[in-house]
Amino acid sequence: MGSEWQRWLDQLQQVAGDFLQPLSGAHPLVVLPLNILGFWIGLKIYRRVGSPLLHPVVGGSLLVFAGLVLLGVDFAGYQRGSGLLYLLLGPAVVALAIPLKQNLSVVRKVGWPLMLGLLVGAVLAPLVAVVIALLLGGSKTVLIALTTKSVTTPVALALAQEMHGIQSLAAGVVAFTGIVGAVCGPSLLRRMHITDERVVGFTMGVNAHAIGTVRALEISALCGAFSALAMGLCGALTALVLPLLVTP
Amino acid sequence: MALLRKAPRWLLGAGLLLAFDLAGRSLVAAFALPVPGPVLGMLLLLLALMLYGRVPRGLAEVAEQVLRLLVLIFLPATVGIYFLRDLSGGDWLALITAMVIGTLVSFTLTALLLNRLIQRAASRQRENTRGE
Repeated sequence: MGSEWQRWLDQLQQVAGDFLQPLSGAHPLVVLPLNILGFWIGLKIYRRVGSPLLHPVVGGSLLVFAGLVLLGVDFAGYQRGSGLLYLLLGPAVVALAIPLKQNLSVVRKVGWPLMLGLLVGAVLAPLVAVVIALLLGGSKTVLIALTTKSVTTPVALALAQEMHGIQSLAAGVVAFTGIVGAVCGPSLLRRMHITDERVVGFTMGVNAHAIGTVRALEISALCGAFSALAMGLCGALTALVLPLLVTP
Repeated sequence: MALLRKAPRWLLGAGLLLAFDLAGRSLVAAFALPVPGPVLGMLLLLLALMLYGRVPRGLAEVAEQVLRLLVLIFLPATVGIYFLRDLSGGDWLALITAMVIGTLVSFTLTALLLNRLIQRAASRQRENTRGE
């Protein structure tokens, strides 16, 4: 455990060090409030309007992007300034175990249908996207980025590295997929008269990973638990199988 | 005063989250597993909670706060999509169509399949209980 602990400390030290840098547009004291402000205003707008098209994932990120353009900050600077949030990414993924544990008895009852649904969903999500892109003549870069579209960002980043894909492209594809799923998913299923929160949650987790899970948690804790379970399992399954299929 | 009593509990909860994150990462690094560290950490914590039997109060409270802020924590990764520029026009078309249509298609198919499977399992269970 020593080396990872050391790496975490190094990361912490770097984040602390960034705070001591001279003030600029990419300074954490500018970027972090910008993130919080974007998130908070995005949430307010979303609660006021109620349309899933303006979910904080969309509204908040647009506001932050607008702020970055105004301040003239590039993505690398923004990522550096947001270091504190990157430190929280891992623990936040781990925290998904709690709704999972609290709803475990419900999950157990539908164990094998879930496993089958997971298997089909985990294969279907990248397959359909890659086939569409192939038909439209997408390049190899695009195809590789699409294979990880439905897994959570930390998994996708690790996989992109392994397959020699472009990491920022993979992260972008993951975020966009999550937004499409989180925004359109619940109303799409309602139109098909699928209201079972277990089904909605699990489908969100398989197809729209963490962003889908955030949306599922808003529907109910049960829905969120199924989404978190699906996201974790789908991430693990994809991480295990994909590198074997896509040889660089 | 209330805050003072809650603080150790919260610290313990936050410490547990961090410890399982690091444990997951270390195991992944040590055995060169293809699974990402935090995901393994989540599965480890789930296993530990199953063995422990319940969720410690501090952990539950901290996790609830963290999950409420999930959108904020993922914001830096989300903003990345607006910075994608190094692609040709045809690639963009293929990429966006594949993401939008592909996600909706796989979403619908997964939900339909799962709905059918769960309903069938439920009706079979009902028949079994009736049979007994």
